[in-house]
Amino acid sequence: MAETVLRKPMKATHSINNAFASKFAKSMFLTVSGIIVLMFIGTRMFTHVDLNLYGYMVGTFVFIAGFFYRFIAWGERPPTKIIIKKGIKLLFRKSTPKTSVNHLGTYEFIWNRGIYRWTQHLLIGWGVILSCLVTFPLVFGWMYFTMEENGYYTIVAMGMDLMTVPADGVIAFLSYNALNITAIMVIIGVSMALYRRLKNMQARAEQKFIYDFLPLYLLLFISITGLILTFMNVFLHGAGHYAMSLIHQYSVIVTLIYLPFGKLAHIPFRPLSVFARNYREHYGEQSMKECKVCGDEFVSTEQSQDVVNVLGTNEIDFTMEQDGFNLAELCLPCRRKYRIARFSGFPTHEVKTKEANQNAKG
Amino acid sequence: MKKRLYIELENCIGCRSCLAACTQCGGHEQRNRNYVYDVNPHVNRQTMPLMCLHCENPACARSCPAQAIQIHETGAVLSALVEKCIGCQNCTIACPYGIPKFDEEENLMYKCDLCIDRTKDGIPPMCASVCPSNTLQWLTEEEIEQKQRRHDLDNDKWVTSMPYLEGATNVKVNLPGILQGTEKLF
Repeated sequence: MAETVLRKPMKATHSINNAFASKFAKSMFLTVSGIIVLMFIGTRMFTHVDLNLYGYMVGTFVFIAGFFYRFIAWGERPPTKIIIKKGIKLLFRKSTPKTSVNHLGTYEFIWNRGIYRWTQHLLIGWGVILSCLVTFPLVFGWMYFTMEENGYYTIVAMGMDLMTVPADGVIAFLSYNALNITAIMVIIGVSMALYRRLKNMQARAEQKFIYDFLPLYLLLFISITGLILTFMNVFLHGAGHYAMSLIHQYSVIVTLIYLPFGKLAHIPFRPLSVFARNYREHYGEQSMKECKVCGDEFVSTEQSQDVVNVLGTNEIDFTMEQDGFNLAELCLPCRRKYRIARFSGFPTHEVKTKEANQNAKG
Repeated sequence: MKKRLYIELENCIGCRSCLAACTQCGGHEQRNRNYVYDVNPHVNRQTMPLMCLHCENPACARSCPAQAIQIHETGAVLSALVEKCIGCQNCTIACPYGIPKFDEEENLMYKCDLCIDRTKDGIPPMCASVCPSNTLQWLTEEEIEQKQRRHDLDNDKWVTSMPYLEGATNVKVNLPGILQGTEKLF
């Protein structure tokens, strides 16, 4: 393989990396082993595996393979590599918790895009996250319920008795119905999103069926089949339960496998926006780059240099020999005026005047 | 028939119709994504438009850590995908022409997408549709070649992309002032 030819002579180290053929193999092995060890602990040595959920377990392992395939390739891109590396280094900034809650929990930036969009995203986003937090511990046996005393459920988490609650109490009610509640959240959110995609002209201009609608239909399908399961159990005395449970299981597994490759890929990948914010704030405090023409500070020195380097790896170089700067060293208005100067031959960027209003709203 | 945006810079009269039209394109959320500049603001009224030139090897997309800037099959370099853009602003630093705009509040970059909803079906982009002075035109390859022949004064003054731009672009530009002595019919 090409990779073996290009690889540098291997040093005589005993790094764990030498045991694996690739980063993918290593990540897969460690993750699956980790899950199995956690299952071993959580299920009290595999004595409490819920085999009814076996399909989800296999589906999850396939999902993990797809996830690593997609994201390792993506992480190898030069700009991505830089932001992941520096993001991890800056993870323990004071502002990280606040930024994380803002970007990943309350979605303030979506609020600014519109309150309707924020509402639908909050319902879908938290509906899906809470569903996962309930489902996967159940699938891997990290959480289960036992009834040692009649009328009381014991919640077992990671093999330890967490608490004993009355079977008709509030906590028990919320536990049975957690997935029903999240299903209703997702259904409302998806319906709002579908309505917007059908009616809003701004959304309609750019959407595609496969990219924008398919994930919504998948989420809707999961939520509705899940709710039908509850309906069958509560009102139909379990009639049709087994067929519906397979349909539901199938819908979840298909969505899981599809997740890293479509619009839903932004779920695992979105924490990077916290990295990006930390990156900009941290290096912005350290030193700012001054525009080579007007002297305004417009970006951190670090980011300016990183972008120049990244473009270098793509064999793009915007060094203007005759003017003695790289285009990345000009602030945006000066860079635009410099281009006008290149078009016209008159040095527009050197005229000391603020750029005219470029906003069509006046 | 594949058509391209073609910019004849010297025609610009500074009316800013292209900016206004840009706000009305579907998906642009009522904000314009292009620029009109005074060439020598204290001396005369010559203006020139500055659009995204849709580079064949776009620096903005190459520098995006999130792969949020996609390249359409027509060659148009699209605006950031809203769910992918992480707000790092690498693209604004990378772009040699300073085109991408960034919305701090929405934590989102937006740039010219050549009105992809229109141009993917061969309909001219909004700016070219409204330009009253034929600065922005929507032409076939043959028509652009004709322009090139007409402008070819054998003195390296015709440019489509190189060497006055930083790389090959999908939008073609001609330099102003090379038709001196030629009568121009609009």
